[in-house]
Amino acid sequence: MTAGTPFRLAHLSLYRRLTVLLLCPLALVAALILGQSWFASRAAADRAFDRLLDAASLSIAEQVRWQQSRLWMDLPPSALEMLATDAEERVFYALYDAQGHFVTGNRTLPALPPPPSGQMSYADVDVGGLALRLGVRRSRLEGWDRSDRFEVRVAHSQGGRTALANRLFLASLLNVALIALLAMVVVLLSARFALEPLTRLRRAIRQRDPRTLAPLALELPRELDELRQTLNELLARMRRVRANQERFIGDASHQLRTPLAGLSARAELALRQTDPAQWRSALDSMHGTAAQTARLAGQLLSLTRLNNPEAAPAHTPVDLCALAQRAVRSGFASFDRRGVDLGVETPAQAVVVAATAWQLEEALANLLENAALYGARRVTVSVLAGPPRLRVEDDGPGIPESQRLLVLRPFHRGREGGSGTGLGLAIVDSIARAHGCRLILADSDPAHPERPGLCITLTFPDAA
Amino acid sequence: MHHPDLSRRRLTGALLGLAGTAALGAPALAGTLEFAASTTPATPLTIYGVLDPPQARPLLAAFKQHHPEIALVYHHMDTLALHQRVLAEQDAPQADVIMSPAMPWQYQLANAGLSSTLDSPITAAWPRWARWRHELFGFTFEPIVMVYRRDLAAHMPPPESHAELLARLDAHTDLLKGRVVTYDPRLSGAGYTYAIEDARISARYWDLVAALGRSHTALEATTSAMLEGLSAGRYWIGYNLIGSYAQAYVANHPELEMVIPRDYALVLQRLVMRQRGAPHPEAAARFIDFLLGRPAQTLLATRTTLGAVDPGVSGPGTASALRERLGDAIRPVQIGPGLLATLDTLKRQTLLEQWQQAFANRTTFSDGPLADPAPLPDADKESPSP
Repeated sequence: MTAGTPFRLAHLSLYRRLTVLLLCPLALVAALILGQSWFASRAAADRAFDRLLDAASLSIAEQVRWQQSRLWMDLPPSALEMLATDAEERVFYALYDAQGHFVTGNRTLPALPPPPSGQMSYADVDVGGLALRLGVRRSRLEGWDRSDRFEVRVAHSQGGRTALANRLFLASLLNVALIALLAMVVVLLSARFALEPLTRLRRAIRQRDPRTLAPLALELPRELDELRQTLNELLARMRRVRANQERFIGDASHQLRTPLAGLSARAELALRQTDPAQWRSALDSMHGTAAQTARLAGQLLSLTRLNNPEAAPAHTPVDLCALAQRAVRSGFASFDRRGVDLGVETPAQAVVVAATAWQLEEALANLLENAALYGARRVTVSVLAGPPRLRVEDDGPGIPESQRLLVLRPFHRGREGGSGTGLGLAIVDSIARAHGCRLILADSDPAHPERPGLCITLTFPDAA
Repeated sequence: MHHPDLSRRRLTGALLGLAGTAALGAPALAGTLEFAASTTPATPLTIYGVLDPPQARPLLAAFKQHHPEIALVYHHMDTLALHQRVLAEQDAPQADVIMSPAMPWQYQLANAGLSSTLDSPITAAWPRWARWRHELFGFTFEPIVMVYRRDLAAHMPPPESHAELLARLDAHTDLLKGRVVTYDPRLSGAGYTYAIEDARISARYWDLVAALGRSHTALEATTSAMLEGLSAGRYWIGYNLIGSYAQAYVANHPELEMVIPRDYALVLQRLVMRQRGAPHPEAAARFIDFLLGRPAQTLLATRTTLGAVDPGVSGPGTASALRERLGDAIRPVQIGPGLLATLDTLKRQTLLEQWQQAFANRTTFSDGPLADPAPLPDADKESPSP
């Protein structure tokens, strides 16, 4: 990743992504535990050392008595040595009477608010520049005659407790570090392990024969199994498409072979004749067959071109009215020769759609051809606006409703024995699909059961 | 820093006698030794100490030889003056190094945070029993001894231990009446310190005090006064004398004999520390390193009677030699918080009262009747807890 591109999670490999997503919370948890153990070690060290304050102050308090009309005590050196601990702390003690007057001690020590329970209260204090832990014991004389209250205040420096807290914290730091290390190894290994089926799938796809479309058979975890099924569905669709193509090629070869065989047979027959009149009639017939075969080949070519998704020509604005008028003009003469009445109906203003002009022309030509071939006597091309529509109506025999989907397939002819190629409507259907049009086949005159006629409408998507 | 507990008034009594331990019979205690540096630029170094110039001079001269770049000024003063001066100057220290044999007082200064940590290889290797933290170091080893006149042997076998002293006192109460001398704990800080330590070590100490009382033991304020009395024949037995002074004195007085008690012998240590905020901390560290170093310790053992602490130095006058001879009986005064208890006012009063009872308020002190112990602080004048 270069410095310029912003960091995006989508760029990360699955392995890294898993690692990051697992390790970040892990680090957070470790930090939380460490923070907690920092405070816990302080508290534990305080508890341990506060017990010394408690014991020392108790041992001093036990020596306090009433003598010579005043509080008196024989300070036990062991109490101070207990306070000093192995860390050789600085120690301070003081005895205060009920009124808060200093009785004896090696320095004045501050008072503390009484504890919620028990006799001892503790605090960290700063006395004369020394950071001390202070413990104050509230007690009273237990003599027969007097029960004066007094306070024993003891304090020591904090070197030992800081050292203990640090030792405790260091121990838990090592623990946490060890656990985090283990967890990291586990995370890295399990991420690798979890992604292993993906590697297997990749290998299985890479090692396949490029021509085979057989479904993938592979034991995979559920999430990847869905991916495998989707892949298999795609492969199944591709198999169907290829089957269609193979059938199309088979049909096309068959369609081409029949007229070619006819041509060959007719030519052979004519060659056995010696009468030029016979030859002429054979040549006439062969010419007709050849022309029909040429048209068939042309239509096959254009159907192949239309079905090629790689070559979708750009759409340009096309005026449907002009298009319809041009088609009618060019076909008028031949229709007139065959005695078919060809007409056009267009609105006054232009109806413009985004389309490929030559394809629409081809579609319209095919529709007109179709109508003529199936014996219509009257064919009308009309253009309608809102939404833009191109419609071809005839008064021919029509197509029964059950046949209407089938006639869109190549080489399916609505009627046996016609001279159509069986490709016309398939081509129209392909063009309609290339333009996002709806192709609707309907009766043009449902009231007439003998010749209901056919009305084919191409409805363009509304420009708006 | 406010030190109500260390007010001059209350210390006066306790330290009065201690002052006397500093110099043998020399009333003029204050003195200054100066050693100019022989190189330039010179690093100044100021020492406050309680160490007699005759003992200090060879030590400081040796230091000067090792560190000619340091211009050393040694202020000799008595323990009370030293303590007062250090407290007075604590916010703007003038001295770099403080040396004193008044162990509780010295410890109190260090405990209150007036010392600073030294971390050199020498201080780190110093035996644990002779230091506190890395701030306070004992650099001498001076047993507390008994001294008797040689002609005592004509009357009884001379006492070699505390127990024997008690036995002699019990057996010859009348013969020894007024012939035994020891420190007056009311007037001498040193005597008071040894009394406290004796009481801590031995359960029979109070029997000994009672016996001393019965035989009308004389109480003196200084070791030198006791030695002079012994030499003059006024006293036969002296109990709890500072060994370093006694040794030097006995060497010149053949009629006297010094004995280190066999059952247990208290050992006093001079404590040295670098003052917190010392003006010349580097020079101070060098001086203390020198003091604890091999050459200075050897010098202390051979050319002074102070005794060497360093376990690496052997021969007469060293801690190791004394330990070898007396084993577990050697009881150095522990440099620890127990010394603070020694300074507790009420504790002091309790001990002195017990003494007073043992002596049944007899007039035993040449200066007159037993004075009250140092006046206690007036509770009302103490700063109440803040």
